[in-house]
Amino acid sequence: MGYTKEEKAMIWLDSFLLDYAKKAAVLKMFRDPYAAVSRFFEKEREIGAVVGEEMLEKMRASLYDAAYLQGVLSAYERAGIACVTCFSEDYPEALRAADEPPFILYCKGNLALLHERKFAIVGSRRTPPQAAKRAERIAQGLSRAFVIVTGHADGGDTAAIAGALESGRIICVLAFGFSHLSSAENGKLLERVAERGLLVTEYAPAQSARKYTFPARNRIIAGLAEGVLVVSGGEKSGTRITARYAYDFGRDVFAFPYAIGDPMGAGCNQLIKDYAKLTEDLVDITSVFGINLTEKESETLSSAEQQVYDCFGGAPLHISEIAAKTGKKEHELSPVLIMLAMKKKLVSCGGNRWAKT
Amino acid sequence: MLSKVTSFALVGLDGVPVTAETDINNGIPAYELVGLPDAAVKESRERVRSALKNSGRKFPLQKITVNLAPADIKKEGSAFDLAIAVGILKATGQLKADCEGIVFLGELALDGALRPATGILPLLISAKAAGYKTFIIPAGNAAEAAYIEGIEAIAAENLSAVMDHLSGLKPLSPVPVRAYERGVKGEYKFDMAYVKGQATAKRALEVAVAGGHNILLIGPPGTGKTMLARCIPGIMPDMTFEEALEVTKIHSVAGILGAGGIVDIRPFRSPHHTATTVSMCGGGTRTVKPGEISLAHHGVLFLDEMPEYHRSTLEALRQPLEDGVITVTRSGGAVTFPANFMLCASMNPCPCGNYGSADRVCTCTPAAIRKYRARVSGPLLDRIDIQVEVDTVKYEDLAGAALEENSAAVKKRVERAREVQRARFSGPLTNSDMGERELKKFCLLSRECEEILRMSFESLKLSARARSRIIKVARTIADMAESERICPEHILEAVSYRKYDNMS
Repeated sequence: MGYTKEEKAMIWLDSFLLDYAKKAAVLKMFRDPYAAVSRFFEKEREIGAVVGEEMLEKMRASLYDAAYLQGVLSAYERAGIACVTCFSEDYPEALRAADEPPFILYCKGNLALLHERKFAIVGSRRTPPQAAKRAERIAQGLSRAFVIVTGHADGGDTAAIAGALESGRIICVLAFGFSHLSSAENGKLLERVAERGLLVTEYAPAQSARKYTFPARNRIIAGLAEGVLVVSGGEKSGTRITARYAYDFGRDVFAFPYAIGDPMGAGCNQLIKDYAKLTEDLVDITSVFGINLTEKESETLSSAEQQVYDCFGGAPLHISEIAAKTGKKEHELSPVLIMLAMKKKLVSCGGNRWAKT
Repeated sequence: MLSKVTSFALVGLDGVPVTAETDINNGIPAYELVGLPDAAVKESRERVRSALKNSGRKFPLQKITVNLAPADIKKEGSAFDLAIAVGILKATGQLKADCEGIVFLGELALDGALRPATGILPLLISAKAAGYKTFIIPAGNAAEAAYIEGIEAIAAENLSAVMDHLSGLKPLSPVPVRAYERGVKGEYKFDMAYVKGQATAKRALEVAVAGGHNILLIGPPGTGKTMLARCIPGIMPDMTFEEALEVTKIHSVAGILGAGGIVDIRPFRSPHHTATTVSMCGGGTRTVKPGEISLAHHGVLFLDEMPEYHRSTLEALRQPLEDGVITVTRSGGAVTFPANFMLCASMNPCPCGNYGSADRVCTCTPAAIRKYRARVSGPLLDRIDIQVEVDTVKYEDLAGAALEENSAAVKKRVERAREVQRARFSGPLTNSDMGERELKKFCLLSRECEEILRMSFESLKLSARARSRIIKVARTIADMAESERICPEHILEAVSYRKYDNMS
């Protein structure tokens, strides 16, 4: 992959794992990034004041070493990592408008996805099964018009990945560099995303996940997308940070409603109170964007299945309640319930309770 | 003078004839006991001395040599006391009667009374097989002996009674033979009728028992998992005499036999999770004792909170679960104990225990739940065909007077399903024992069933290893419905018992 000299200068600067603020400060001293290399020695003292003596020594040494940058670039290429810098045509325009746009997006996968319309679906690790299933279905439906952007955690993010992975229209934004991919909690799944969709991170490969990299990552999710759907989140969930960024960047925010006092959804309800649109189904999102995506009716139900399915309202039902409503025995119900789960109409919530997706 | 008296020693679950040879010579009074006796056997000299004296006999002040032959097997326990005492009496001429062909078993008390010994039943069975007909045993072991036909077991209270019997002064009549009454005497403390609600779990238990499948109960603390497990023996078919005899043998060797003489209710063993591998599988320093899995033979082994057990202890269960026996090898030799039990395990759904609870909130992250569940290894889980959720019972259900089905009714259905299986395999096998060949022969799936199975694997993300388990359970459900063919609803119900696979 050919990089311009400005881009190469950016990649060089990024390879030292500096904080965003320090990188910004260094770049501010020069007209363009290349000047940071060509006129490095003129401004050594100022740079040293920003990055510290030790780091300055490292940077200086790397400039004396002709093979340094080549080594970095070929290592990236071997690992299949493409660097999309803010000088690249591939750099998403929407992200430029965001706060502190990342200087480089390290990408693995299908770069073409960056040019498409994007919509974010995020959720906390503790997402109730029925919300996860619904998020999965919405992700699947929306992926026909949008590329789905999400994070990489269990729960809501995983549900969004599960929905969109088949179509390949999925971007996962990571809170760490690619070297830490295999040891991540969802490493296997993320590798499949890299194969079919796209993985994006602003961190150089060696950067590991830190407490602060997650909220910083969330600004990229919000920045990339035209809208954000929050599927779950408690009072202090990171999903609220994503939603806040999205709101600040002028994106539409959507959220699933939750029952009063449900700790898994208190954050969602708060968002709805503040600025998010209450969202129950795909159409609540598509209507805002003026597009029409009809969910294809997946499968027909037998009369027994229909009878069971009709028992359900919003809340999960225990198998004994279904038995009472249909007048059937519990063990006659379990085949029907499993069939409905296979048809993705119902989902098991644990403890022999079931809910509509 | 020299005398020879027969006794029996226990090696594993079998008896080996031992001859107590006693020789008395003139010389400095001494007492030598040879023939690899352990400490308990060596101490017999003090018991025998006092017992003889307190029974009004004389302990000779001469040089006494007792040899327990054959000399190459280790002798353990106190059951040789009687044989040694009789040998001394014969050698000193205090007893004239002929003791040829009589087997003496029992421990002596200092006052001459006979104390019951452990392992009498397996000894009697082995001795009978070796051709011995007449036995003199402690009165406390009479109940055990009563179940063996074709022998003459004389139960004596004390040494004097033995002497009087042998010399013909006051002959004792043999223990009357008792016929085994299948499932009449046995009583189970726990009944399904006392378990409120939990219809899904109860049905799963019924299926598990009907097909001999192992079961895992998953549920929050305090939902009645233990109570449900304790109901299992009560819905299992009554033990046949052969089964009861096998169980009694093991319990007799372990010394946990009750007063009943024979174990006619299915054992229920629930070792604590601190149990060691040896206590679970059997072992010991020289002679080998049966472990919990053998004590649960023909019954239920209940592992409460399975993930809390030591990993190595759980892994040790894999081979006996497959083979129904366990071979314990020690320097003293290898012993094979039967261990054909039904495994019932319970666990919480997640570390905090509230996953799937209607009114309490689970605070575990998916990663924490995965880690907790990974404590039970895949290969072991593979041997558990049925995994079912037990859920919190609502107060109204607990307090309600709704009449639940009792164990007897469930047992009837189980016995019917077992009959179908007996006819199929022409033997006492169950569906869970089917191998690949039997699966092909007896579990033909229609195209519709194949399609459903394929769909369920795809959409519920079941592990491929679960396939034959599901088919076996479906076979059992079909048997319970008295259906020749496996129908789609049977497959689907069997799929619903793979909770562990599709929970996360």
